[in-house]
Amino acid sequence: MMKDKIKIFLDSDLLEKYLLGTTNTQESLQVERYIAIYPEVLETYNELQDNLETFAKIHATKAPDGLKNKILARIKSENAGRRQFFRYAIAASFIAIMFASASYFFWNQNQNLQQENIIVNNKIESLKADMREQLEDVRNQFIVLNNPQTKRYNIKGNNNAKELKAIAYINPVKKLSYINVKNLPNLPEDQSFQMWAEVNGEMINLGIIDKAVGTEKLLALPYADKAVSYITIEPKGGNNTPTVENIVAKIDY
Amino acid sequence: MNGLDAMSINSFKAYHCMSTLLEKHIVELLQERNEKAISLLYEHYGDTLYGVAKKVVRNEELAQDVLQESFVKIWKKSDSYDASKAKLFTWLFRITRNTAIDKLRSVNTKSDKEIQMDVSDVYNLGVDSIKPELMDVRENLERIEDKYQIVLEALFFYGMTQQEASEELDIPLGTIKSRLKIGLRELKKIYGSSMVLAFLLNLI
Repeated sequence: MMKDKIKIFLDSDLLEKYLLGTTNTQESLQVERYIAIYPEVLETYNELQDNLETFAKIHATKAPDGLKNKILARIKSENAGRRQFFRYAIAASFIAIMFASASYFFWNQNQNLQQENIIVNNKIESLKADMREQLEDVRNQFIVLNNPQTKRYNIKGNNNAKELKAIAYINPVKKLSYINVKNLPNLPEDQSFQMWAEVNGEMINLGIIDKAVGTEKLLALPYADKAVSYITIEPKGGNNTPTVENIVAKIDY
Repeated sequence: MNGLDAMSINSFKAYHCMSTLLEKHIVELLQERNEKAISLLYEHYGDTLYGVAKKVVRNEELAQDVLQESFVKIWKKSDSYDASKAKLFTWLFRITRNTAIDKLRSVNTKSDKEIQMDVSDVYNLGVDSIKPELMDVRENLERIEDKYQIVLEALFFYGMTQQEASEELDIPLGTIKSRLKIGLRELKKIYGSSMVLAFLLNLI
């Protein structure tokens, strides 16, 4: 059975065609498979190769004298062309890489600058807003302090904070009021002074009075007819509602 | 087996070994893309391949072109050579023969006439410019009768299948097969003795 298979294969011209390189891809694969599997086919193939070489050598003809040099010169120029091509290819890829990295670098920088630009613009906007606010504040302070209708109240702390001294400026015409805390007694680390105002029956948190702010700072108070302001001692960080028993000062205006 | 035969066989083996060594060396040079490979290839296979090209195109000028183009192809394709699939010569032969056939086709489409004129030489064996060490082979070759010679040529040079050769030469397929077998056997005899001769000549 296997013998038959080999015989059929050898009787076909496939091996001879393969020898001359005229088989198609599929045929070549088949022949190579037979050569690999059957020693008999391999032997025949090797024999055919030897015979081909012998037969061709028998027909060898002296090639013209100059031909060798012509061929060698052509191979040389082929190589030179190839080398030159590679040189150009390397140069071209180098330039391409440079260009790409430069593009990336500039794109990246542009991106960073745009981001910075946005940040700077935002900062300018917030600075402007701050300045406007502070200017407004300063203008109001000026109005209050400079206005003859402004009333000045000296405030002293009660028994819980005797050293507390503050001056309130109230102007009922312009409806502006300020307080200037001159002196605050020392408090334990976990407590702080907090300012409140009762306006139209509503208690408003005016924030913590910070000692570090200094004695020159005027703190704006919300204005209302018959408003009352309180200073209380609260836990550090402030409280949501005033602790009534800890009231140290009361300002009516 | 007498003593001389034994010696012949040994020297034949030695010659064979030498040629495979040379083959290996050339293949290595080719894979290193060393131009020396081409020089060596030309020295050892140039005349043979030129003979192949001439056999196919039947024109000296064309054969020179074919040989040049073949060597350029050999150089360019050198990394595609696979020693496990074919002997070096087989690979060289395939490239040269294919180049020659392509050349013949391109020339044929240009002008049919020129080639027609050369057809009369098809089976003329030029006796001129034969390698001296193959003189003996040539003599022996003449001992291979024409009828075998023709079948071998049809197969090796013109790339005919046995079926095609049968039709072309108007010889029954069975006869083609048997002539091929006998021709190859004769060839092997010549191969053995001529290579021993060539080897001995090389020693001198």
